[in-house]
Formats: sequence, structure tokens, C-alpha cells
Amino acid sequence: MTIEINGRQLPARPSLVGAIEDAWQRLAGPGTWWQGAERLAIAEEARAALSCRLCATRKAALSPYAADGRHDGPGVLSREAIEAVHRVRTDPSRITERWVRGLADGALGEERYVELVSVVAIITALDTLDHALGRAIRPLPQPRPGEPTRQRPANAVRDLAWVATVAPDAIPAGELNPYSVHGDKNIHRALGLVPQEVFNFFDLDVELYLKDHEIRDFAHEYRAISHPQIELIAGRASALNRCYY
Amino acid sequence: MVAASQGVESGVPHGAVLTAFVDACLGPDAAALAHARNAVIAGLGDAAFVDVCATVASFNAVVKIADATGIPLEEAKEARTRDIRAALGIEAFHAP
Repeated sequence: MTIEINGRQLPARPSLVGAIEDAWQRLAGPGTWWQGAERLAIAEEARAALSCRLCATRKAALSPYAADGRHDGPGVLSREAIEAVHRVRTDPSRITERWVRGLADGALGEERYVELVSVVAIITALDTLDHALGRAIRPLPQPRPGEPTRQRPANAVRDLAWVATVAPDAIPAGELNPYSVHGDKNIHRALGLVPQEVFNFFDLDVELYLKDHEIRDFAHEYRAISHPQIELIAGRASALNRCYY
Repeated sequence: MVAASQGVESGVPHGAVLTAFVDACLGPDAAALAHARNAVIAGLGDAAFVDVCATVASFNAVVKIADATGIPLEEAKEARTRDIRAALGIEAFHAP
């Protein structure tokens, strides 16, 4: 299978191409706490954040709280949601527990915040891939109708992260197990409050990066680049993002 | 540190080319990115280029989940990195 870059066909794993298309489709459909049109509004706002003057001012300031004002962008979402999208997209490394609690415990709500984070991460991944490849940023798809399910996991508690998560051994029978496919490391648990988002993000991410069991399987190479090369890229990208985790 | 900066020899094949590409992808200079893109393709080939781009995409995204939810390091990872984190004094930057 190939992907086209400016008229040139480059070889690509079918599983990667499939995961990319699935991710685009899932962005447009109803989520657990947001409608499809709202999820696309989050994605559109995340794109706008990259040219937002307030975000640029904050990014350059010693503290992101030194500048106040209105974010540039479509402005379809609530003020709290817009603030969350812009901050997660442009300055995540300086996010604090106090800031998250202010949104999660406020009008936005914890579950909607977690799903918003996932949507921002997914559109970031998709757009970064196209940017890296040299492809034009893809137009957002049309939203699909439908209502969010609004199902909060029964045993979600705030004991691991700044948002509630679900421990792997605390999932009741009959409830969607978000860790059944990709594992239950803390990065998976980060989205566990909205189980479907664990699948939505990591179904894509394991094709961009590696499946959990492949990461430390140094006896095999799963990509056209080696484990050391993958980890060099991963480390450099994480360092440039100033990510603690 | 293998990911420290450009110009530092990582010991990873094509490490300098890969590091320059990541920097260009996440930076503002379109010309630098075009140059870095050509260097990756010339050095590693088309299939590798796609996987390089995919890895950059993954780690430009997953960091946002980690940072926006405040998940901690796993205990095993914490133990493995204790020495280097102490040497860097990074814990002093913990934000409330």
C-alpha cells in the first residue's frame, strides 16, 4: 500500500493507512461526551491555536498566566473549552493540576475535558503526520449525527492523575475495558475516564509508534527504522515538547 | 543523552539526520523542514521516511495527553530514571 505525497507514491503499511482513516472517521462521529460536530469544532479550534496571538504571547511569557485576552479561532465552543483546547495544543508542558481542576470541576466537566484532550491529541497526531510528510493539512470531515452515550465508568476515581482514572482491576463485568487491547500503562489510564477514547487514540498511536509488546521486543524490528532510531526520534520530540512523562 | 541536541553524536545510525528532521518538523522553518525531509529520504529511503514521520506524529501528540492529565511515571520507570532526574534537579520544577 502507498500514500501519496505531492503526486509521489510512498510505501506505507496497510495497518497505518487504515488507522489514519479510522481516526479521521472517529473524529467526526459522536463521542462519549461530545457530539460529532463538537468534536470537529475541538479539532478546528486546535488547528487555529497554532496561529493564535494570545497563545503566542503566553508561550513567550515567563508564566502562561501573565497574559489575558481572547483566543483567535472559530470560537464555536464554550470559553472554558476554547481555553482548554488552546492550552493543550500549544503549551501543555506548563499545565498544572490547579488549572486542570479549575476546568474539570467547573463548567466544562471532567469527562468532557478528558475527551477534549484526546481529540486534541488525535488531530495533533494526524496534522503532524501530514506536516512531516509534506502533505497539505487535510480538510476536516463532515460530522456524523448522533448523541453522546454519556457513560462514566462506575469505579473511576481521582487517585492516580489530575483527572479520574479507572484501575485495571476495578472494571465491573459488562463495562467496556479500555485496557483490553493496548495495555494499562499510566499513559493508557490517562484517558480511562472515557474508555472509548483509549481506543480512539491508541488504535492510531500504536500504528504511528509501536504496540505495547513491540516496544521492548528488541529481537524484532517492526518498522523500516530500528528501535534505537525510533527511540531517538521519540526522545527528541518529547524533549522539544518539554514533556515530563 | 541521545536526544540532547543537534551536534551531539548519538551513536544511532543516521542519528544526526533524524534529530535534525524532528527539530525541523516541530519548528517554524519550512525551508529547514524541506531540507531535512530530503536528507531523511536520501539517507534512509521512502519506507523509513514514512515511519520517521509517523513516530514524530505520535510523540508530538501523546505528550499532550500526559501533560494535560498529570499522570505520573510508572514506578519501574521512575526507579530507572531516578539517578538522571536527581542529577538534573528536575524535581525542583514540579508545579502545584
